[in-house]
Amino acid sequence: MNRSQLKRPLGMGVPNRGAHSLKFFAAIPLLPLFVYMGVFFFFPLSAVFRESLRDNLGHWSLVNFAAIVQNPYRLAFINSVKLGLISALTAALPGAIFAYIIETRGSEKLKRLVSSLAGVIANTGGVPLAFMFIATFGAEGSTTLVLKRMGWDLYSGDFTLFSFTGIVITYLYFQIPLMIIVFSPAVHGLRKEWREASQSLGATPLQFWRKIGVPLLFPSFAASFLLLFAGGFAAYATARAMTVGNVALVPLQIGNLIDGNVQINQMNVGKSLAVGMIIISALAMIPYFIIQARTRKWQGN
Amino acid sequence: MARKLKRKNWALTIALLCGGLFVFLPLGSATEFSLRDGGKTKHSFAAYSWILAQPDFLHYLGLSLELALLTALITLLLVVPTVVWLHLRAESLRPMIEFLTILPLIIPVVALSIGVQSSFPSALQSTQFELPLMYVILALPYSFRAIDIGVRAIALKTISEAARGLGANWPRTIVHVIAPVMRSAVIGASFLTLALSLGEFTLTSLLHWDTFPTWVTTVGQQSIVGAIALSVFSLAAAFLLLFLVGLVSMKSKNHTSEEAA
Repeated sequence: MNRSQLKRPLGMGVPNRGAHSLKFFAAIPLLPLFVYMGVFFFFPLSAVFRESLRDNLGHWSLVNFAAIVQNPYRLAFINSVKLGLISALTAALPGAIFAYIIETRGSEKLKRLVSSLAGVIANTGGVPLAFMFIATFGAEGSTTLVLKRMGWDLYSGDFTLFSFTGIVITYLYFQIPLMIIVFSPAVHGLRKEWREASQSLGATPLQFWRKIGVPLLFPSFAASFLLLFAGGFAAYATARAMTVGNVALVPLQIGNLIDGNVQINQMNVGKSLAVGMIIISALAMIPYFIIQARTRKWQGN
Repeated sequence: MARKLKRKNWALTIALLCGGLFVFLPLGSATEFSLRDGGKTKHSFAAYSWILAQPDFLHYLGLSLELALLTALITLLLVVPTVVWLHLRAESLRPMIEFLTILPLIIPVVALSIGVQSSFPSALQSTQFELPLMYVILALPYSFRAIDIGVRAIALKTISEAARGLGANWPRTIVHVIAPVMRSAVIGASFLTLALSLGEFTLTSLLHWDTFPTWVTTVGQQSIVGAIALSVFSLAAAFLLLFLVGLVSMKSKNHTSEEAA
């Protein structure tokens, strides 16, 4: 299907003249979506921004933002960003390698199976995931007990599942499948012909990777990494279900503030924390979209 | 050639072994744990029969299913006409719609929740139907893309132009041409939305509602084995749902290709 053909408006004889009103009429059937998103998405978000700038008496003020750059909130931001970065870093490479092997060597059937499985695991997440990991690597967990019998006691040091390391390990269970989902299209777009062409021109596999493979795949790899970061940074359900009160994370603190565990003078701190989260997520996702738009050209989708 | 083939299988085998271990170690561990009966060596289905004996089990499962079905219904009513119109007449607005529908994925759910809690009128916040209304937003990045990709695959514009060219009016085109070819995309998007709504925890718990996933955490405070058994159940249900989607979409694919032939 030819793209330029799709873009031409149908049955509208005269081009250019009245293009504006044409666009306006074309947008009318899209109004329900605009209105719905306006009411249930932009309206609550605007409240977050507005109220983050108000003090307890309702006056405009930056007092909430002054509060969140100090502890305990400052530490929570550092922890959450660290959690996003470390879980994304440790998931990105194994996920990418797995996606590469499956995409280049697996049968069609296997590819489909892997992508559906990855989809379920990446999205089920949350609460079941937390309990599954307690059953696996908790102090009484099955794997912990088996490893202990084999002479490796996970709990001989100061490891617990309810620590920063424990959360990172648990997050990997949805981060790696997510990496597989978002990175596979890039591998798929890497045409076999390019490799064959480089080979017939006398390039060694190492040269192929250095000059063609890595430069082509790296942007998608970076974009996937950013998406993983945003996911790990903002995740709430898993951390909450593991009730890791001992690790300060921004989403958990916002949850606490909503639940009413608030000092009287900090009514709107939850909203300024939310604004902080939105800003960090947006900073990660803007380069993601730029990279995606560019790589889409050669991936052909 | 033979050596190359061998190397090829080597990498694939190792990858599949690692992948299998990754998926089934926690899943297998949780299954074993959920079958423990008091001690660490005795096993039984005690945890599962305990779950079934809880009156809350069916209550919350039913509630979650009801909310999920409502979400899927609203999603279809909202997204299907939008996507159809985009493909037929408003291709130039596509970048904007794509951007809008991806936003709920970028904005942390926690941030959206605190906004809902502080801005929605109390009449809306006192009914649990605020949940499906919000789930629609959370599912939008997935539901829009699922339907959009499905529609792209069937060249909706060409088909409907053909129908119109052969003399069908618009209602007839929609009922007899557009709706049947969109079935598989619609089914896929519905299942995605259902799965997402059934598992939604963050917004639900922050708005202080109880559904199946939040009930699981409550159970976890009384009986960890019970909560683990529920988690195994949730995951098994998710896999089953996935299997059904595969089955249905394959069937309807065969169906449409038969119709085409």
